[in-house]
Amino acid sequence: MLAEIGFVATILAFAASLYAVAASLLGARSRRTQFVLSGRNAAYLTAVMLTVACLTLLVALIVEDYTIAYVWSVSNPNTQLFYRVTALWGSQAGSLLFWSFLMSAFSAIAIALNWREQRRLMPYVIAYSMAVLAFFLGLSLFIENPFERFWVLGGEVVEAALQPAASFAPDYARLADSAQGLNPLLRHFGMAIHPPMLYLGFVGFVIPFAFAMAALASGDLSNNWIKATRRWTLVAWLFLSLGLLLGGRWAYDVLGWGGYWGWDPVENAAFLPWLIGTAFLHSVMIQEKRGMLKAWNMFLVIGTFSAVIFGTFATRSGLVESVHSFARSGIGFPMFLFWFILTLISVSLILWRRSQGALRDDHGFGSVFSRESLFVVNNFVFVALFIAIFWGSFGAPILAELVFDTNITLGVDYFMRVTPPLFALMYILMGIAPLSAWGVSSYRRLGKSLLIPVALTLVTVLLFHLGGMTGVLALFAYGIVSLAGWVAIYEAYRAVRARMKTRRESPLLALSKVTRRNPRRYGGYLIHLGVTIIGIGVIGSTLFQMETQRTLAVGESASIANYELRYDRFDGGQVSADGRILDIANLSVIRDERVLATLRPRRDFFPQQAEGLNSMSIAGAHSTLENDFYVLLVEFSPQTQVATFKIYINPLVNLVWWGGLILIAGTILAIYPVELLATSRVRELSFGNSAASATA
Amino acid sequence: MKHLWIITLLLALAVPVMAQDGVVTDDDVNEIASKMYCPVCENIPLDSCGTVACNDWRYEIELMLTDGLTEQEIIDDFVFRFGDRVVGVPQNQGLRILSLWVPRLVIVLSLLAVLWFALRNSGAGGHVLDQVAENIPTMDDWRAQIERDVRGTS
Repeated sequence: MLAEIGFVATILAFAASLYAVAASLLGARSRRTQFVLSGRNAAYLTAVMLTVACLTLLVALIVEDYTIAYVWSVSNPNTQLFYRVTALWGSQAGSLLFWSFLMSAFSAIAIALNWREQRRLMPYVIAYSMAVLAFFLGLSLFIENPFERFWVLGGEVVEAALQPAASFAPDYARLADSAQGLNPLLRHFGMAIHPPMLYLGFVGFVIPFAFAMAALASGDLSNNWIKATRRWTLVAWLFLSLGLLLGGRWAYDVLGWGGYWGWDPVENAAFLPWLIGTAFLHSVMIQEKRGMLKAWNMFLVIGTFSAVIFGTFATRSGLVESVHSFARSGIGFPMFLFWFILTLISVSLILWRRSQGALRDDHGFGSVFSRESLFVVNNFVFVALFIAIFWGSFGAPILAELVFDTNITLGVDYFMRVTPPLFALMYILMGIAPLSAWGVSSYRRLGKSLLIPVALTLVTVLLFHLGGMTGVLALFAYGIVSLAGWVAIYEAYRAVRARMKTRRESPLLALSKVTRRNPRRYGGYLIHLGVTIIGIGVIGSTLFQMETQRTLAVGESASIANYELRYDRFDGGQVSADGRILDIANLSVIRDERVLATLRPRRDFFPQQAEGLNSMSIAGAHSTLENDFYVLLVEFSPQTQVATFKIYINPLVNLVWWGGLILIAGTILAIYPVELLATSRVRELSFGNSAASATA
Repeated sequence: MKHLWIITLLLALAVPVMAQDGVVTDDDVNEIASKMYCPVCENIPLDSCGTVACNDWRYEIELMLTDGLTEQEIIDDFVFRFGDRVVGVPQNQGLRILSLWVPRLVIVLSLLAVLWFALRNSGAGGHVLDQVAENIPTMDDWRAQIERDVRGTS
């Protein structure tokens, strides 16, 4: 029954999305509002139907309905409730449905919020967002249907959404016995949040894309579409950033290689839209302030969404081999076709409007050191990073296979040769651009503004040097990263100090007032600060990581840097509630003859996992701000209890996570609606007035 | 005969010394393995791959190191057997140039395109405007905003 409800709800959502496209386009062409209204209501209906479909699949997972093939493939009777819920996006079919659900919800909210103000754009926004949704729902219905059930037909077990003639349902108990269980890699708390965050980031970019396309289609190429989507773009960027961070943390905890970013093609596929989206977030300011780069912004927003679709295609089609990617499936060709057509239509629309002169800029570039010029360089850096990472992840391997009939992998070696100069340039620009002025600016003026941040940077570098750092490369890297951070802090400080002087406010109050008056600016500075801290963490954990592998008997110790690791005990063959077999080593981390921590790195074995990965290495880590003492249990002998450990010291790695949190906080601040702040200010004032009148 | 004894004695002394110097540690193996990828897995570096096959390949590296092969010789051997997919940058010269230089070339061309675009849209020359800017008391938006903040007006 659950399968039927979910299946019918998905069909209705698919039909409603197609109807929404047709009705809204018809309404726009014939200027008949009732059609557009009907299209809007159909768009709302998709959200309702997909909520029903997702809930149905969730219930099926929770009540263990193994007659549904998807439930059977991602859970078994040992699966804990928590992982039953996360299994909703644990495999291809479920995650596609979940993706569609999120997209329909985003679209419905965006349509509802902008309905009154953006009436001219709305029919096209509905049409484009629903067309994308219809495509994904088509994949769910015709290729990766999560509501297919098992049937016995002529002695064979088949999967079908509708019962084939002369078939019957298989025995439930046998299905439960043979159920697969969730992929071991996904049995981690991070997996509960990482994919939904990434999906929210991905589908969030549908909204700016749909608005941009609507602007191109309707001819309303004013800044309306930008005003309507600025916050949506930030929301999507926020979730994508969060997804990338959580993905890094998950890799660090679960993949067992001592790092958080392996330049894996699927990681990169999520990073590519982030890069273009970041370029757009900067570039869009130039259009808002100076009416420039109109066509370029269109390219960026469409490029971001195109990168989302390409990344999805690459991850889900089996195009690239990755520890992250979904199994090969039939959705590859349709997704590639969709990506190609979508990009072709979008680019053609831009070129058409441009040829009409509709995307002409209001101003030319003033001077080399103006803010807009530096933002263009910033955009170049992000696009260059995109090119380098796209080439390494997809371009070169695909070309080598197609043209030279050979498989190649471009790994860390490649990325560490090509990307560092670009990242360095990015940090330098983060340090310079916020100090330059819009319109016209000179190098002298800019140089004067840079004096104090540069002095602070030199002091920082000197401190690093006095602290024992001698490498020129490391000092240079820390220098440019610190400059970006100091500029952000210095700019906020200047505003606070000015307010403190004239208003005699305390530093905290002045900071709060300044931030509340322009959350977008100060949110931006906070993001820059977060990126600076991430940079410090990345440099530390990349350039100064130490590792060693030692084989120890119980009671023996190994030394690394000024730490000692003592192997105390081995707890083998422990069985967890979900059927895993755990082999745990008990270790003591000692420094200056004092036990700092006890670690329990372990190997998890999944005896019920019939295929694919059936063991995982979970690290034990002692985390401080200075570093992570990170240990993996590589192998062990149950007879002798001799074990091999891989020990890493990852300096400053925790700054990556702390910087990430600051980045997230900054983004939330930048998103926070100024109107709400204004309202709260009015409330404060009225409360103040009423309190004053009460006192009087 | 006398010389043979001396040679034997020298060899007997030398062998343990070589064995001591030639001890291959896990770190030596991992240093080379970290530069390669598991030939059959999905983009997993060989040093951190946990499969039985990867253990065997790491053991092979250990044996090769014991036999005195250099890092490059070991990598070449793996590339010969499994192809260029086992290394992070292809060893084949043509593929290597293609991999490393195409993105750089595209980036340089993009930079030229940006410069061309900026010059075309600059109107007056940037240098002249820079000089003009020296004399113009510009107050950009954010400074104006701070002033408004300070004054408490919106």
